[in-house]
This record gives sequence, C-alpha cells and structure tokens, in this order.
Amino acid sequence: MEESPLHPFELHNWIPISLGGLDISINKAVVIMWVVVSLVAVLMVVAGSARKLVPGKLQNMAEIMVDFIRGIIMDTMGKGGMRFFPLIATLFLFILFCNLIGLIPGSYTVTSQIVVTAVFACLVYGLSLVMGFLLHGVKFLGILVPPGTPAWLLPLMVPIELISQLARPISLAVRLFANMTAGHVILGVLFGLAISGGLLIGWLPFAFTVAMNGLEVGIAFIQAYIFTVLTCVYLGDAFNLHGHDEHAH
Amino acid sequence: MPPSQDPLYAGLGQAVRIGTELLAALIVGGGLGWLCDTYLFGSTPWGMVGGLVLGVVAGIRNAYRSAQRWPKT
Repeated sequence: MEESPLHPFELHNWIPISLGGLDISINKAVVIMWVVVSLVAVLMVVAGSARKLVPGKLQNMAEIMVDFIRGIIMDTMGKGGMRFFPLIATLFLFILFCNLIGLIPGSYTVTSQIVVTAVFACLVYGLSLVMGFLLHGVKFLGILVPPGTPAWLLPLMVPIELISQLARPISLAVRLFANMTAGHVILGVLFGLAISGGLLIGWLPFAFTVAMNGLEVGIAFIQAYIFTVLTCVYLGDAFNLHGHDEHAH
Repeated sequence: MPPSQDPLYAGLGQAVRIGTELLAALIVGGGLGWLCDTYLFGSTPWGMVGGLVLGVVAGIRNAYRSAQRWPKT
C-alpha cells in the first residue's frame, strides 16, 4: 500500500476533447461538477414546486437555506445587496455541495483544484471592481486611501492598501483550495496508517479517520459559509465606499 | 445550516480566515516586488525585500480589519 496521499487529486482524461488547441477533455472533476449542478437544481426545483403553507421536509430545508443566505446578505450588504441574491446563493450551494460530495469515498472534491476556486475568486473580485467603478466612477480609487489618512502618509498607505486589495482574490481562492486539499490529505494519510498498521495498532488511526470525517463535514460548511460571507463583504465594499458612509452618493 | 451559526464554528471560520489573510498579502507583496525587480527597475533584491515588508504590513492590516468586522458574541 505504497500510495502517495496526493494520489486522489490526480485527474485523468476520460474523453479527450481538444477545441482549437484548448483542452476541454471530460474528466472526473467535470463529471462531478455536472452531478453537483444537477443535484442542486433538482433539489431546489423539487423543494420549491410544492409551495405549501406548512412546508414539508424538503421545502423546509430549502427555506432554511434561502433564509440563511438572505441573512448573510442583509448582515453584510444591507437591503441593496439583495439584487445579488441569485449569484451568492448559487455560489454557496455549489461550493457546499462540491465540498460535501467530495467526502463520499470514491468521488472527487472539485474544490480541491485551485483552478476552480481561483475562477470563483476572480469572478467575485472582478464583479466587485466593475460594480465599484460603475457606481462611483474614478472616486472608487478612493478605496486605496483609508478615511482619515494624513497627506504625508499617503505614499506609504497607497501601496499597502493596493497590496491588501490584491490579496483579496488570492486569499479567497487559496483558503478554499488549501482547506479542502489538506483535509483530504490528512484522511489519506490516516487511512494509509490504518491499513499498514494491521489490527493490533491500526484501529487507532482508523478511529481518527472517523473523527476527521466528522470534522471535514463541519469544514465543508464553514468554507462554503466563509466564501459566501467574503463575497458579500467584497461586493458590499464596492457598494458603499469606506463602509460607514452609506449615504455617500 | 446549524453548524455555521454555531459560535464555535463561526470562531473556527474566523481563525481559518485570518491565517490565509496574512499569507495572501505576503504572496502578493513579494510577487509585486519581484515583478518590479525583474521587469521594471532591475533593482534586485531590494524591490522584493520592500514588497515583502509591505506585504506583511498589508496582511496584518487585513487580519485586523477582518477581526474588527466580526460581530461581538
């Protein structure tokens, strides 16, 4: 059982497709993404089709989820942020189900590929930039100057703020990717120990595997939640410049 | 979604968040400094050194800001 713990992250093309030099082959990650999308879609459509006044189990779950996302948006962006509800709800549900499906043995964690998380992060950050410039015009560059900065500190503060702004998409992408990858590596290592340890001592790492799996379920929720909260925070920053002055414009 | 509203899990998430915040700013600062060194001024290694220092400052500032935003429980 000499297998690298990174082995589960390798992807092999199932159906190689090349479109004008672009590699769009079908592999496990793509298939799992399709599964996740259809699962979320079917779940939400079925849950929303009944529309009973006294909700059933599925409708109840969907309502809790929608209310939860609505709460996040209201807390971080205020009422004006509700126009982003479809985007944020989609992101949350997709990431959550990707994380959870990855915990099923034999499946694949799509969010452990930095390409996937980086695309989400760039999408969110790009959207916040575009919206900021659309709403505030050139004044949006004022986000690089924290309120109350004395003029002599400007040459120092602007580079610092620039770096801290550019760090946002990277921290968003790296956080999700690193947490999912690290969790599955730990699971892989513990399983390897359990198998090579034999019956005498192997039960100990195996017990840890079970505990880690429970923790990973929690992490799947936390990471989806954090990603959603930060999406709202970044969009909200572009929304109301400098956070506090909501009547600025 | 009970786990994420649990204060324990909210705190865990916050802890995870601050760690990456520091790291990401460091990467960006060092990267920008290295780019300036290699392609703009040819001032190796001072751009990267300055960039890393600024990255640390920006990372701490980001972490501080994210800690400020967290509602007190």
